[in-house]
Amino acid sequence: MGSAMGKSWLESNTFHHSEFKDIDFLIEKKREKNLKISLCLPTLNEEKTIAKEIIIMKSELMSQYPLLDEIIVIDSGSQDKTLEIAEYYGADVYASNDILPNIEAFKGKGENLWKALYIAKGDIIVYLDADIKNIHHRFSYALIGPLLHYDHVKYAKAFYDRPISEGDKGIRPTGGGRVTELVIRPLFSLFFPELTQIMQPLSGEYAGFREIFENLSFPIGYGIETSMILDIYHTWGLNVIAQVDLDRRIHRNQSTKSLGKMSFAIMQTFLSRISEYGHINAKERLFNEMIQYNQVQSEYQQEIFKFEQPERPPIVEIPEYLAKFKNSGL
Amino acid sequence: MEDYLEKLPEIVECIKDIKDTIITNIVLIGEKPAPTFREKERAKAFMERLSEFNVDECTTDSYQNPVGIIRGTSSEKSPIFVVAHLDTFEAKENYFDYAVRKDSIIGPGIDENSAGVGVLISLPLILKKLNIQLKSDIILAGVIQSVGKGNLRGIRQLLKTWPTPIRAGVVIEAVELGRLNHTSGGMIRAEIDCSTASVKSNRSQRERINAILVLNEIINNILELRLPQKPRSEIVVGRISGGIDHGKDALSANIGLEIRSESDAIVKEVNNEIRDIVEGIRNEFDVELSLKTISNLNASRLKYNHPLVKSASSIMKKLGVEPVSEASESELSIFLSHKIPAVTLGITKKDTDNPDDAIRIEPMFKGIAQIVGVLQAIDSGVCDG
Repeated sequence: MGSAMGKSWLESNTFHHSEFKDIDFLIEKKREKNLKISLCLPTLNEEKTIAKEIIIMKSELMSQYPLLDEIIVIDSGSQDKTLEIAEYYGADVYASNDILPNIEAFKGKGENLWKALYIAKGDIIVYLDADIKNIHHRFSYALIGPLLHYDHVKYAKAFYDRPISEGDKGIRPTGGGRVTELVIRPLFSLFFPELTQIMQPLSGEYAGFREIFENLSFPIGYGIETSMILDIYHTWGLNVIAQVDLDRRIHRNQSTKSLGKMSFAIMQTFLSRISEYGHINAKERLFNEMIQYNQVQSEYQQEIFKFEQPERPPIVEIPEYLAKFKNSGL
Repeated sequence: MEDYLEKLPEIVECIKDIKDTIITNIVLIGEKPAPTFREKERAKAFMERLSEFNVDECTTDSYQNPVGIIRGTSSEKSPIFVVAHLDTFEAKENYFDYAVRKDSIIGPGIDENSAGVGVLISLPLILKKLNIQLKSDIILAGVIQSVGKGNLRGIRQLLKTWPTPIRAGVVIEAVELGRLNHTSGGMIRAEIDCSTASVKSNRSQRERINAILVLNEIINNILELRLPQKPRSEIVVGRISGGIDHGKDALSANIGLEIRSESDAIVKEVNNEIRDIVEGIRNEFDVELSLKTISNLNASRLKYNHPLVKSASSIMKKLGVEPVSEASESELSIFLSHKIPAVTLGITKKDTDNPDDAIRIEPMFKGIAQIVGVLQAIDSGVCDG
């Protein structure tokens, strides 16, 4: 890999959050460019973390510094008090199923992110997972920073030290996410070595211009982060992407089995995408079932998870969206 | 005075309007661990937040207590101190995860004293929002090395080295709303350590000594001590540890206790009696036994009819909060020992439905309004007589 294959991207498009801590400057840039910025939190049963996330963002980036214009929560059908709490603390709350009711509804993070584009007013959309335990307003302003500072940057992605919270045992530092290191990085190395410079392609925190997101297809499930990186790279090139070191993100640990399912969905998306790009011809040979095994006493029992992973087309192709954002001049 | 008393309900509503920022401050400060003697991270966060709120000056004193100054309109008036201890009993040094619910905030040390510190750093914004500018400078200090073995070193140093007279002090504690402390009892905080390790090998199986049982003997002797009802006095054995396994004699054990009294002489006398008990048991059992004083305070008081106490009481009543006065062994003692009028006030109530450290959000707004009211009372001259 060397300098010939884009080391300069790593140098020029990698930032640390501290480079954007002058929020007054960001506000000035936002005003100059006449932009609106929306923060979107996709949720499913996040009552333990959602209030803190909304309060801190609202206090620091709306009340103290008017950087964000709105905070919207798009929910996949929480059974806990997520919606009640989010509304109480002042977020604009939407049930995913109620958005664009004339089209078939799906359930998944990607679905929420896609529908957020219809709801959000912003020219820039910031997407943050709603389960961040150590939330800080840098998670938003540092992702917005490169978009306002550099005209060529259209999409900014977070990376971290990712300690995993282990309850009372404290924090265990890890190198990178297991799925990143065991699945995505090897795949990128095989097909798109340039993309290995993206430290954490699966991080759930990113920001970008509407003009980028509205032209992307959104897998409704786990594959969304993978497809987003691949499609942006494929369509606009690596230079529109920036990555920002947000230092530390504490998240819930997941079992190897759960990560296995996540890996399946990611590989499914990846292989499907590279087939579309014409790199390989594998799409028709792919199965859509993840098979895992449980040992019950002396027997092994098969557990099959079916991943249909429908995709939303670029939202710019949806007539309701066009009517709202293109015809109205928004 | 009546003017600001009348405005208190309005002040409560106005404070509610900025609850996001107040809660944010509590969370951001509380998530930085600050065990006594290791408060650096929290002190840094304290300074950063005050800088963000554009206080007129933000610095640390010679002892590393973080201090912010809101300048008043009159250079002739001495400053008013508002302090909250920065350190927590929680010894963990990792990141603390705080959670916010609709009606409560949960997290290690929130009631002791992260919520107090969070409110302290919110005061510049609160006063700005209320459009209140006092004649006196307000000194906002997050004092370090306060609890346990810290022995109030931070506040002692801050007041000892402060170059000007001080008009009054307000000490903020997270809980309980309603406390109005204006007297400080005499107190000695001590630890008794017992170790049998060095003598065990010389004894037969029948004679073996268990450190926990030795301390139990000491506790029994302490409980037999006669304490006067007036001046009010008490001994609290608040902490015990020792041993390693259910089935093994404990080789070492430790208890922590406090002797409290309205009279310094009684504290001293009781301490001597406990020292005699320890000495006697040490000789009887032939074990290593020591009594160490880790902290002490002299009794001091602001009379119940002092204008500051009366004003604070009126303010609380106006807010529908019933004042409760008990002696407090805290930063208050150091103010009072410097002859500076001071009170300790609680911000909110513990959320007792929650098994973890938790405070309730709603009562906090009255708790903060009460601080604002007391600052206005002090600024109007109730301590200047």
